[in-house]
Amino acid sequence: MTEKYQNFLRRYGTALGGLALFIFFAIAAENFLNPSNLLNVLKQISFLTILAIGFSFALTTSELDLSFATVGSLACVVAGGLIYHQFSPILAIAAGLFAGLAAGVINGLIVTRLKVPSLIGTLAVSSIATGVSFWITGGVAFVGRWADAFLFLGRGQLVGIPVLVFWTLIIAVFSLFVLKQTRIGIHMIFTGENDEAARLGGIPTQKMKVLGLSISGLTAGFTGVLLASTLSSADPTAADGFMLTAIAAVLLGMTMIEPGHPNVPGSLIGALTIGILSNGLILMGVEYYVQDIILGMIIIASVSVSASTITKAAFSV
Amino acid sequence: MATLLDLKSIHKSYGAVQALNGVSLTVREGEVLAICGDNGAGKSTLIKIVSGAEAATSGQVFLRGKEVHFASPADALACGVATIYQDLALAPRLQVYQNIFMGAELTRATFIPFLRILDKKKMSQAAADYLGRLNIEIKDMKAPVASLSGGQRQAVAISRALRWQASLVIMDEPTAALGVRETAQVLDLIRQLHDQAVTIIIISHNMEDVVAVATRIVILKNGLKLGECLTENLTAAELSRMIALGDLGDRNIIRQTAVE
Amino acid sequence: MKCKKIGLARTAALMAVFFLTTTQAFAGDFKLGIVVTAMSSETHARTAHAAEETARKLGWDVTILDSQANVQKIVSNLENLAQAKVNAILVCMGKPVETEAGLAAVSKAGTPMISVMSGTSPHVMFDITVNEYEVGAEAALYLLGQLNYQGHILTQRYESHVGTRIRGKILDVVLAENLAVKVIGSHTMAKTKSWREDVRKGMEALLLQNQGKFQGIWASFDAQAFIIDDLLQAQGHKKGDIVMVSIDGGQETFRRIRDPNSLLTASVFIPFEAMGKKAVELMDQIVNKGDKKEELVTGPYLFLDALMIDKYNAPPEGEWPKM
Ligand SMILES: Nc1ncnc2c1ncn2[C@@H]1O[C@H](COP(=O)(O)OP(=O)(O)OP(=O)(O)O)[C@@H](O)[C@H]1O
Ligand SMILES: [Mg+2]
Repeated sequence: MTEKYQNFLRRYGTALGGLALFIFFAIAAENFLNPSNLLNVLKQISFLTILAIGFSFALTTSELDLSFATVGSLACVVAGGLIYHQFSPILAIAAGLFAGLAAGVINGLIVTRLKVPSLIGTLAVSSIATGVSFWITGGVAFVGRWADAFLFLGRGQLVGIPVLVFWTLIIAVFSLFVLKQTRIGIHMIFTGENDEAARLGGIPTQKMKVLGLSISGLTAGFTGVLLASTLSSADPTAADGFMLTAIAAVLLGMTMIEPGHPNVPGSLIGALTIGILSNGLILMGVEYYVQDIILGMIIIASVSVSASTITKAAFSV
Repeated sequence: MATLLDLKSIHKSYGAVQALNGVSLTVREGEVLAICGDNGAGKSTLIKIVSGAEAATSGQVFLRGKEVHFASPADALACGVATIYQDLALAPRLQVYQNIFMGAELTRATFIPFLRILDKKKMSQAAADYLGRLNIEIKDMKAPVASLSGGQRQAVAISRALRWQASLVIMDEPTAALGVRETAQVLDLIRQLHDQAVTIIIISHNMEDVVAVATRIVILKNGLKLGECLTENLTAAELSRMIALGDLGDRNIIRQTAVE
Repeated sequence: MKCKKIGLARTAALMAVFFLTTTQAFAGDFKLGIVVTAMSSETHARTAHAAEETARKLGWDVTILDSQANVQKIVSNLENLAQAKVNAILVCMGKPVETEAGLAAVSKAGTPMISVMSGTSPHVMFDITVNEYEVGAEAALYLLGQLNYQGHILTQRYESHVGTRIRGKILDVVLAENLAVKVIGSHTMAKTKSWREDVRKGMEALLLQNQGKFQGIWASFDAQAFIIDDLLQAQGHKKGDIVMVSIDGGQETFRRIRDPNSLLTASVFIPFEAMGKKAVELMDQIVNKGDKKEELVTGPYLFLDALMIDKYNAPPEGEWPKM
């Protein structure tokens, strides 16, 4: 009985903590429970969540992707630039996604072919992505009134719910399906769990690592496109700020459901917790730096639980 | 008995280290061949070459009379050569059936070509069946491998060979680090495989085990084959002495081929 | 073991949240939210803190929200403040076009908004600012006047920010009319976190390359000028050797202008504090005293004057220029 209880706490403790936080704000923060506020929170965490899910794919194959935020900015600038220059929205979206995917594939090849540790390789790609973003924009954001079809992607609503919420749900469900129900998913998990065993078992582990990093790039690309649409502008640093919060969401997610390992539902709850925290604190009128302090504490507390997975990803070639 | 595997003058060097110096040997269908020798003799290296995990520096491998070039373990598996490694090569956090089917999952197609859905139910059933054939009881196919005993893990690893319908199973020190009872269990597993007409190559430092299950023994030393002998009327002590002295005496049934 | 660690970590995190939240919640009746683009930028922080101080004197509750130079975060900060139903919002150095979605959410919630140095938006009552074109012209003309409209100058530019870009363009216009002054070296700062290093490296190269060949330096904002000043001092230059002009103003600027060792000659003082203060005062007049916006401010902008500061009118330590 107690063991069962302990196991339950191990798997769902953090989620319960998130729930406690929710209840706390519901009582202490005025307007928190307003449906419009709750939708607002869901909408705001969508970028964070999509990036976090992509990052956890890379981490599943035991590789870090520290480039997703700036790659997101690059995709934002690519998509936004094309829209700004009157190209069709379809082309702009495709180009944004492609930019993200290409960066992910390059990350994968750097890690698997050149044998550069992902911690360093993706950081280098991050720098390159930033450089290209500034090259494209000259540092000046593309702004304007863009085609409605394109703006719908990030600003639209369906049955009163922001489209962004649907994107997040679709990506979360699809990712969960891929990881848990498909062969490619379990091959990625095996690669992350025991690279050598997976290789000896006939799993193309190098390809799986490339795939994990590519998915991270692709979701970053999608986030960039969504940002361009939501903001109706494309700034060369648009997604840069999501780096730490998205990683924090994944780390927080690794303290639950499958403790010590990246998992989609965990990342989702992690992002939700961070979103609730940020929103609740603002509703309560707490000063801005408190959020940063808490974010830092969340990261430390989470990593103390899942340190081995992270260090393996960070320092193995 | 027909020849299953034929190795001709296998050389392998890791930089300056000469791990294998021209080893030739023949494996016949249905036998249990033991490869013995001191630490660093080249046993693991030899089987890594057969299993496709490493490429030989020179030499040839023939399977059923045809020359093969295994570029990866997957190639070898496809030809029915399955290897159970010294460290078992399992993913402890994952479930029993997932480990048995690692890299060879049963799937169904979806409308997206590269996305194949796992057939978890069929895999669990088949996994239970393989383990049953080895007389091993593991109740929960969904239990993580980390929760199993050493003998049970060995069984999981061997079941993988069954999954591949391997005709040649190679085992590197399958009883190392196991207790008495579990060692007995693993030896039993090997006999089960042998009864099912699977050819087996086993590496072991435990002479008792070798004498108990092997039909023939090859002894390596410093990357060379010292000789071969049969296990009939051979005692563990005698085998130990042969390895230690580096001489098979009149037990040797084959002459060492010339060093190239 | 691991279980304990998880529990411990969680307890610590939760306790921290409760502690930090209960210590500083909204208490008064009038709540002002201040959305700042980047508190890490000195001018943004100065504006926000001046506004905060003024509001607290009025007995208001104030929350400053930093957006960490992230456009999406400006939007979410605005949305969250709209949900919090604050009574008024002040936007400091915002980007109204890029953050239109957030401003729209606020205006839909009926929350009055004033911005500082942001540009205009239909959702905001008005923008308090200085005329960047005028500021740019003042700095350029001061520099050229000191050089008697002849000689060589170096420029340190920054094109990724509207204000500094305008200043640079105005300088170009002024130079186009005064051909005896030539730019013999120019460095454009990149928009990175390590911009100080970028300026230092770029200018160091230019200074060495053009040693003894230039009489003036133009920097697009003061913090750049400080770095150049330090370089020049290290190279043994004395006050008066070179005329260096920049823009922004502030205590450090005034100190350098007064300092006999510094090479900083003059700077156009932008009254950030006054703008923050003015924004709160006008908000109070409109929202609480019932004054009409149209009677207080004509058009979308309220322009405050910028003031050229050199050694003759630099205020003493700790004081501000009399405007
Ligand atoms: N990857 C490698 N790189 C360099 N040298 C290696 C490598 N693998 C094996 N060797 C060397 O090759 C020689 C043979 O090693 P091998 O592992 O085949 O020995 P073994 O007979 O299996 O020994 P043991 O009984 O200890 O397992 C040893 O000297 C070993 O150090
Ligand atoms: Mg070995």
